[in-house]
Amino acid sequence: MTMHRDSDALIAALVGELEPVRPLRFGAGLAGALTAAGLSAAGVVMLLGLRPDWVAGSADPMHLVATGLFGGLGLAASVTVIVMGRPQVGSDHGGWRWAAGMAALLPLVGLAAAIGRGREAMAPEVMRHGAECFGLGAAASLLVAAMLTAWLRRGAPTAPARAGLVAGVAAGAFGSFAVSLHCPDNDIVHIGIWHAATVVAMAAAGRLVIPRLIRW
Amino acid sequence: MRADEATLARLMALSQQGDRQSYAALLEACQRWLRGYYSRRIAPSSLDDLVQETLIALHTKRASWDATRPFLPWLAAIARYRWVDHLRRLYRADEHELHEELLGTDDEPAIAARISLDRLLGLLPPAQERAIALVKIEGLSIAEASAMTGQSESLVKVNIHRGLRKLALMIEKE
Repeated sequence: MTMHRDSDALIAALVGELEPVRPLRFGAGLAGALTAAGLSAAGVVMLLGLRPDWVAGSADPMHLVATGLFGGLGLAASVTVIVMGRPQVGSDHGGWRWAAGMAALLPLVGLAAAIGRGREAMAPEVMRHGAECFGLGAAASLLVAAMLTAWLRRGAPTAPARAGLVAGVAAGAFGSFAVSLHCPDNDIVHIGIWHAATVVAMAAAGRLVIPRLIRW
Repeated sequence: MRADEATLARLMALSQQGDRQSYAALLEACQRWLRGYYSRRIAPSSLDDLVQETLIALHTKRASWDATRPFLPWLAAIARYRWVDHLRRLYRADEHELHEELLGTDDEPAIAARISLDRLLGLLPPAQERAIALVKIEGLSIAEASAMTGQSESLVKVNIHRGLRKLALMIEKE
């Protein structure tokens, strides 16, 4: 009997503090993620400039493929994170893996090409340029990471560790997408290693940091 | 009140707009539904705590449902999350026996079966499911569970650990 009295008191307390809430809509979440990605890309272009070939009205096919893969991965992972914030038995959270599998071709091919080149691939100038893009990509991913973390905090992710990982992948992929609009390098070794490293590093950071912020 | 999908969804939509009368009816119905949902899947002494924790989670996370989606699969995801979390935190319960109290079976058997805890447990390998059921749900000691299953004590512990980790990853799985 006591237990029911406790539950009744709890229900009365919860009812007493009820305030209207705006439901988390899928469209609003997606719009938020795309806006954050768009602002990050615009920020990179405004601060550092657009790629010279784009300014001249042309584009390198390798660059387009890589940029498209990063953008697609960012979109797919963002969609997964947004779905994870709105739990439901029967939801599927695996869609982003297909996009990740396709984007993984970039580092695989990049590493293979780097091995073929030997020491040349690790020349100081190459490393410096790579580290620049890596750092810029990480910085450009922070806004998306913050937006997705805020979404997950408002939502109810039932797998916080996985949600943190996927949010990191989304942020890193959109960060690399933003850098791709500025970086003039079309070399698969540079893109496959340094631009992809942003995604891997942000995924690791997301997995480590975000779950602590979203657990409920 | 019948805890059917359409009624609960309607009450939840009104609750999200701040309608306290609907919210009181919703929480009351959810409380009954949760008691049935958790019954026999948690030590009886923990049932009240778990139901109340889940009601609080429903309250704090009520924005994560919207009216375009079914209500019970959402509530079940919240309930499974709290259940797995509870099993992880649970120490040996006082009860050694499982009370056979069948509470409030649901009106929609197809949905109930799909979102049930049994279905989730059934996705585990049998040895892990059995170890969790005996120790975490029925409250037996590791030694007692070991004697009943024929698994060594360390294997019982490993099976519980692995099983809970898998459960945590499968919360929204059908």
